[in-house]
Amino acid sequence: MNQLLKIQDLSKSFGGNQAVDHVSFNISPGKIIGLIGPNGSGKTTVLNMLSGILIPDQGQVFIEGRDITNLKPSKLAKLGVMRMFQMTRVFPRVSAFDNLLIAGYARDLSFEESVEKADALMQELELDHVKFLDAGELSGGQKKLLEFGMCFMRSPKLALLDEPFAAVHPKMREIMVQFISERHRQGHTFLVVSHDMPIVKQLCEECVCMNNGRVIGNGLTKEVLESPEVIEAYLGGHHD
Amino acid sequence: MNSSSLKNSRLWRNRLAYDFKCFFVIIFFLCLLPLLQLSDYTLGILVVAMYFGIVAMAWNFLAGYCGQFSMAPAAFAMLGGYIVGLLDFHAHISLWVSMPLAIVGTALLGLGLGGLVMHLKGPYLSLTTLSFAEISRVIISNSHEYTRGDQGLNVPTLMTDRISYYYFFIVLVVLVGGFIYSLMRSKFGGFLLAIRDDQEGAESRGIDVTRIKLIAFAISCALCGFAGAMYGSFSQLVSPEMGLLQQTGLVISMVVIGGVGSVTGPLIGALIVYLGSEWLRDVGNIQMIVFAIIVIVFARFFRTGLWGLFSQLMQRYLGKSASS
Repeated sequence: MNQLLKIQDLSKSFGGNQAVDHVSFNISPGKIIGLIGPNGSGKTTVLNMLSGILIPDQGQVFIEGRDITNLKPSKLAKLGVMRMFQMTRVFPRVSAFDNLLIAGYARDLSFEESVEKADALMQELELDHVKFLDAGELSGGQKKLLEFGMCFMRSPKLALLDEPFAAVHPKMREIMVQFISERHRQGHTFLVVSHDMPIVKQLCEECVCMNNGRVIGNGLTKEVLESPEVIEAYLGGHHD
Repeated sequence: MNSSSLKNSRLWRNRLAYDFKCFFVIIFFLCLLPLLQLSDYTLGILVVAMYFGIVAMAWNFLAGYCGQFSMAPAAFAMLGGYIVGLLDFHAHISLWVSMPLAIVGTALLGLGLGGLVMHLKGPYLSLTTLSFAEISRVIISNSHEYTRGDQGLNVPTLMTDRISYYYFFIVLVVLVGGFIYSLMRSKFGGFLLAIRDDQEGAESRGIDVTRIKLIAFAISCALCGFAGAMYGSFSQLVSPEMGLLQQTGLVISMVVIGGVGSVTGPLIGALIVYLGSEWLRDVGNIQMIVFAIIVIVFARFFRTGLWGLFSQLMQRYLGKSASS
């Protein structure tokens, strides 16, 4: 099967701490893959290497067969690898709508195209009533929704979502899940880091579980979550 | 939704348009000022204030819109002035030829200097430009056989009377303000705002942060160089004093007091600070002390400067979308 993303033997250490230890896994196009694991297991470090923020010590990353290891985040974004951060990264001193416009410009959309797309996204994400507020004035959940919009101003090949559901009001979580599901139906591919097991089970057909920088489970979500090693490492021995 | 339905929103381009309209109100009053039968001395002070206005707008373009703090706006103005002065002194090249060369020369210097540090985050640009400003001033001051050292160099004049220079400088201020306005209205302007607010976030959206910062720095340097060349022509002299760090301090205080991140703010700041400093000269040489205190007060209590205060007032009482 054709792989959209291929991660081969990826490693990263910080001083004496081996944050990511020879990690390999693939993502097929059109899939939603969960990346789970306890805190400090190396999930965000993997995401940082996939999005060009960190340079791996070892290993390679391929997207559609092209080696993208060591590319800058801006180059990766142009190639369609979009990142949503755990701590939201919006532009706080311009309006929410401007945030979307800027994200559109960065992906080579014209002003008119950006306005049209931004308006549709604002409605879909139910941010219409706050679109002209400065992004810094939005609530945490609204900022997360805005980041979703920024990632999708132009369809990405792969969306990397880091803890999108953490500390978000259930209503907004619902909007996010709907947004992801809808994009999934359209054939988009996601790698979702989350601690929210019910949502992981609901959204992700497959998942990868990490512990101490290593992959300890990879496959269908149900099977991974039932693996004794995953239950032991991640769920503390209790899983229902 | 079409773009016309966004007209009265708080979209960046609407805030910018409001800012630019106010900029023209200031220009209108500047055009009327000579009707008050001002003396040549006063007109001269206003011309120098407008020179500072251009340098302040150039510094604000980099710091206010892109969040990059250069400590060398005065040094680049000095270098622009010296490019014109040296080309006249050694090769008798006309100002109309040397002035574009001053713009290109300072832009290239900016590209070279910025190329060394723009990929770094943190205070490196400030530290590098601070060192560059002092080194270039000392080199010019000590290269007596080429630059005549502290005596300075004569620069050819363009006009013979003060009033012509006064209106000429108004045109220059409008050109620079219009240029910055059009850049900030473009995609490039959006990228600058994104970098100012969050460099890593901007990079992750697909903006080549290093390249955009470098271009912005080169543009800022070129505008300072242009202002310096024009100032040299007005005063008919360029000297290393133009590049003193004290001059950079004055420029920064103009932007902080006038309002960071706007087109109008730096011009208002330049007019107030320079006219105020001339007035304080009569009281005693205490300008820098007074302006340092004012800058501290503004930085602590009124971060958006006079322009920000004005915008907030307009928003509160007239409901205009003025805030920047």
